[in-house]
Amino acid sequence: MHVTWKLPGGAEIVAEVADGLNLMEAAVANNVPGVIGECGGCLSCATCHVFVTEDWLDRVGGPGEMEDVMLDMVAGERRPNSRLSCQITAAVALDGLVLEVPEES
Amino acid sequence: MTLWTPTDDGFADLTSHDTFAGGAPHNTFARLRRDDPLHWTEYKDGQDFWSVTRHADIAEMNKNTAVFSSARGIRMEDQSYEEYLARRTFQETDPPEHSQTRMLLMRAFSRPVMAQYENDIRQLCDEILDAALEKGTFDATREIARQLPMRMLGRVMGLPEADLPWLVEKGDALIANTDPDFTSHVLDKMDTDEFRMMPFNSPAGAELYAYAKELMAAKAASGDTEGVLHMVRQPAKDGSTITETEFRNFFCLLVAAGNDTTRYSIAAGLQALCHQPELLGQMQQGGDIWDTAPDEIIRWATPALYFRRTALADYEMHGKTIRAGDKVLYWFSSANRDDSVFDDPFRVDLFRSPNRHMSFGQGGPHVCLGMWLARLEVRVLFQELAKRLKSIEPAGPHKFLRSNFVGGIKELPVTVTLA
Repeated sequence: MHVTWKLPGGAEIVAEVADGLNLMEAAVANNVPGVIGECGGCLSCATCHVFVTEDWLDRVGGPGEMEDVMLDMVAGERRPNSRLSCQITAAVALDGLVLEVPEES
Repeated sequence: MTLWTPTDDGFADLTSHDTFAGGAPHNTFARLRRDDPLHWTEYKDGQDFWSVTRHADIAEMNKNTAVFSSARGIRMEDQSYEEYLARRTFQETDPPEHSQTRMLLMRAFSRPVMAQYENDIRQLCDEILDAALEKGTFDATREIARQLPMRMLGRVMGLPEADLPWLVEKGDALIANTDPDFTSHVLDKMDTDEFRMMPFNSPAGAELYAYAKELMAAKAASGDTEGVLHMVRQPAKDGSTITETEFRNFFCLLVAAGNDTTRYSIAAGLQALCHQPELLGQMQQGGDIWDTAPDEIIRWATPALYFRRTALADYEMHGKTIRAGDKVLYWFSSANRDDSVFDDPFRVDLFRSPNRHMSFGQGGPHVCLGMWLARLEVRVLFQELAKRLKSIEPAGPHKFLRSNFVGGIKELPVTVTLA
């Protein structure tokens, strides 16, 4: 699948992501600034925060219970479309997904 | 100029605290990364262990908590089940139990909450640096690096300023329990059996337990809700709270681990300024360097040399089999000098980015709770220091802690000239 990360300055990073990889790992592998993933995707750090663009919200879905708690600890602003990208898994159904990387705090 | 040349012969004994008294044995780690990345060490009384030294391997294993458990101890030394139960913190648990406790503690140490302390830190740095720098020649670990985390501990935990030196002394006795400069109960040199149910096998653990109990009683009586200690005792969304034992062990963890790690990060940064004179000028130019410098200083320091896991199932790697029950050490100290990840790893590059160091145990659920506070303290301290200095030079050889668990410069004589 293809994922697009829109960066705060307006730049975009587009990458091919293998099915099954989580989108934090994909972002780190593609050096997307602002997506760090300090805890390796174990829901312990809140450093892989992204906004899911409106067209994709239904398909991606909302956060789980633990992720919801963690989203209160993100560095910048939390919005209704906030997700931790380690909790989103690449899949064919998400081909073309567009994520926005938040401004840092 | 080479910042620091590792001096061991490539075959250092990783079980010996004395090995580390001259700094981490980086030649040995380099040899292991190259020739034997999953290395078996025989250790007294059947306490043998595996050493993992490559960055990529640690990254892969650290997130695999289904195979590599923290719940049977995180140090090289074995402990009995009863010792483990009495002394453990959430560091010695696995998901999902770990996640539940961590949720209760995380908010208090989250990046937005810590960011509110920046002005406090800057003001403390003013006081600390003004007092230290006027001495001209002094021990920078004692006068600078030790001061800021100790006094921030007081702020963050809501402790009386007058208690701080005593607390830090006890914290040092706990975590530096293998260095005779810090404790009269040197762990591997005398029978500490009577203290084995105490944190770090140390009589200081008992004193800290008692202090925590009195402190919380006094806070409750006066309605004092300042600081993270109050915050971590608040119920989670599901109503759960941390138990009394969890709380007092967590208190000891904060006083010990939450203190000397930042101290040794700052000390390593000061040592780098002494040995790579271009760094001070780079800091003085300011700007984007402050986004990357703290992590590079913390990579350079690597205060937590390793953490241990225990295999719950057989695991194949590099043609060998880790058996269920085997102990496995993740040597972060080695991973942070792995030249397959870091260009010129023995040079401090304050602009290094990305900087995938593992000083905070990145890559697993146990990633350091205090990492935002640590980064903030390191950034503000060096910002304030750089403003004031014209030069900083070594005033003699520096000395490392005698410990294969905590890596740190315990004595750093420097001479400064002011801007």
